[in-house]
Amino acid sequence: MANNPSQLLPSELIDRCIGSKIWVIMKGDKELVGTLRGFDVYVNMVLEDVTEYEITAEGRRITKLDQILLNGNNIAILVPGGSPDPE
Amino acid sequence: MSGAAEKGSTTTKTPGDFLKSIRGRPVVVKLNSGVDYRGILACLDGYMNIAMEQTEEYVNGQLKNKYGDAFIRGNNVLYISTSKRTLADGA
Repeated sequence: MANNPSQLLPSELIDRCIGSKIWVIMKGDKELVGTLRGFDVYVNMVLEDVTEYEITAEGRRITKLDQILLNGNNIAILVPGGSPDPE
Repeated sequence: MSGAAEKGSTTTKTPGDFLKSIRGRPVVVKLNSGVDYRGILACLDGYMNIAMEQTEEYVNGQLKNKYGDAFIRGNNVLYISTSKRTLADGA
C-alpha cells in the first residue's frame, strides 16, 4: 500500500510543503503562518518569516518572528499554502 | 526519519539543524502559558529543555523579571525563536 503512488502518507504531504507557505492552527486560540523549512517525526517544525496570531479578549495580537522551532505538541491542523487571510 | 532531509535541498532545515544553529545566540522562548523569555541560549537538548543566560521574563509584553541563569523544562516550550523580531499589537 505504501508503494502505491496514489496513496500519500500525511508526512509525505507535509514534506511536499517544505519551502512553501504553511498555515498552522494550534490547539487553543493560536495560529501561525510561515515558510516551512523542515520537520521531524513529532512534527516539530522549523518555520521562517512567521506571523503569529493570538486571539485574546482584547482582540488579535500579531507577532512577527524571523525563524522559529515550533513544538509539535500543540499543533492541531496544517494547511498547505498559508492562510487565506492576506494580512 | 521524516524524509525532510532526503531532499538534499539547501533550504531544508530540520529541527535538529535548527537546534545546532542557535546555540549561543540571542533567542526568544515562548511557553504554552504565553510568557516570553528573552536571553542568550546557553544550551538545549532534543526535549527542548533550555538553559538561558541574561534571561528577561515578559508577561503580556511587559518585563516582569530578570534571571542571570534560567533552566526551562522542555514540555512548557511552545517555540524557540531567533531574536530579531518586531511587535505589532492588533486591536
